[in-house]
Amino acid sequence: MAACSRRLDKFIVSLRLLRNLQLQNERFLSTSVCRWAPGNDSEPPKFIPPSKPVIIDKTQAVATLRKFLSPEFIPPRQRTNPLKFSMERKDMIRRRKILNVPEFYPGSILAVSMADPNATGKINRFVGICIQRGGKGLGATFVLRNIINQQGVEICYELYNPRIQKIEVLKLEKRLDDNLMYLRDALPEYSTVDPDMKPVPFPPTGEVPLNELKVKMRPKPWSKRWERPKFNIQGIHFDLCLVPKQMEHAQKWAQPWQEYDMLKEYDTSKLEQQILSEVQQEMSK
Amino acid sequence: IPVQLVGCVRTVKTTTWFEEHLTEDNQEYMRKTMAEEYRRQTAEKLNPLKDEPWQRHEWTEGSRRVGLVAVKLGMAPIWTKTGEKHAVTMLQVQDCHVIKCLPREEYDGHTAALVVGGKNVSPFHRSEHYMEMFRNAGVPPKQKITTFKVSDNAIIKPGTPLYAAHFRPGQYVDVTAKSIGKGFQGVMKRWGFKGQPASHGQTKTHRRPGASGPGGDPAKVFKGKKMPGRMGNIYVTAFGLKIWRVNTKYNVLYVNGSVPGHRNCVLKIRDTVLPTRGSTLLSPPFPTYFTEDEGDLAEDLYDDDLFIHTEPSLTLT
Repeated sequence: MAACSRRLDKFIVSLRLLRNLQLQNERFLSTSVCRWAPGNDSEPPKFIPPSKPVIIDKTQAVATLRKFLSPEFIPPRQRTNPLKFSMERKDMIRRRKILNVPEFYPGSILAVSMADPNATGKINRFVGICIQRGGKGLGATFVLRNIINQQGVEICYELYNPRIQKIEVLKLEKRLDDNLMYLRDALPEYSTVDPDMKPVPFPPTGEVPLNELKVKMRPKPWSKRWERPKFNIQGIHFDLCLVPKQMEHAQKWAQPWQEYDMLKEYDTSKLEQQILSEVQQEMSK
Repeated sequence: IPVQLVGCVRTVKTTTWFEEHLTEDNQEYMRKTMAEEYRRQTAEKLNPLKDEPWQRHEWTEGSRRVGLVAVKLGMAPIWTKTGEKHAVTMLQVQDCHVIKCLPREEYDGHTAALVVGGKNVSPFHRSEHYMEMFRNAGVPPKQKITTFKVSDNAIIKPGTPLYAAHFRPGQYVDVTAKSIGKGFQGVMKRWGFKGQPASHGQTKTHRRPGASGPGGDPAKVFKGKKMPGRMGNIYVTAFGLKIWRVNTKYNVLYVNGSVPGHRNCVLKIRDTVLPTRGSTLLSPPFPTYFTEDEGDLAEDLYDDDLFIHTEPSLTLT
């Protein structure tokens, strides 16, 4: 009996070791290895499917590995003291730590939830295409456009307004232009966005997709003469709405010398790199 | 001649600039030594306790304290806790020192005055007469000097530095500065006249003043008649501006609304003259804010109604 007990002891110890090893392995390969029931080796192991991974959703969602600096951080070309811009940048970073402002471009579809001052406690959610991003520093704005009940609606949101609860990017993409104001004169199908649209997943690395869509316009007159070279619009299908003679007539307002004007040059590459490194450092603290 | 002065005509013939009779090495040496000396002077003045400070009195009813000289940096938006947006001007107090004290008898017999100077400037392009009072105070020369009428118990020793913490959030302030010069302007821009219609037969008359007075009875044009002339570049005061935020690290004041003057211009700030915006609620530092007295203030002082960006988003319940 003593010999059997000793052998039993060794057996139990070895079992315990095996279980510990199993447990250790589980910690590393929990999804791939299916857990065995804490039973004996004689019976066939009961299959328990692996547990689903728990996703911890923090406010700072997956930060983009692309190097993207929001355009409102770049100071305009003025004779201002750089101290003023650095103080504004500190405030902007403080706000960004609370509200996660994702990367987006004019042409991407966003959903914004904002607290309403006239209806206390209620939050309004608006979904639309971003047509333009304007302003520098704390006063940066973006305009979202959508068509609701056959009525076009544009709302200009301030990025750093404290009433904004959440900004979600439903679809991240770029268009051929920075300013999509011509969507007001385009056919309504190009500005409609489904309010209950599901977010289109996009990996944090890789290029932002460029949507080379050429938009069809309503008949003239338009709100602005979009064919003129000063707007430099690539995203309208001019062949369907304008005759080549009209296009040539529009070229009369071209100012080809502006391209060579050295006083209008504003090279932001070094400033951008500096500010980007500064912002990334502050955000990671 | 340096590039910046190529087209300029020399008008002051009485004094000679320091570079005129010096060799290049000597000029460089002068610049270096002057800069070091001024840095040493400002460092000394940071602790006024070292050399017999003057008596500091308590605040009484009806006493007026000094103001500051600051530089306009720019404007920025600001939000309150109820979600309203206001525009705010940022004013930085750069090297503000008290330069001279004029006691009651010397100034005008009724009130004492303090001469305060703002932004530091190079001594090489100012006259000896201008440099004299800065030498007496032991302070580098300033771009702008102003006098503040002060009650007798608020006199400060010449040479003391003045900081932005002299004003606290929630106080009201008057800001005086030279408005942007517009040059010779017509009557529509200068005085807001309506002018004449653009069409319907008007011959060569669209922006003219029109009539200049009554007619035959006075048979003259009254003095002070609004006419075209040079507009701007005059001292203008903005009254009753609220201070939303004070940054003690960089000495920056966030003042409500807009302020006369262009960016980087030097301004004069003082407590409000308006009776309804007196600061009886707050206890401002009197006669001024001393670093050794009040010790370490927080880097940013905010007004109660101001939304600070480190707080969570407003839900407006």
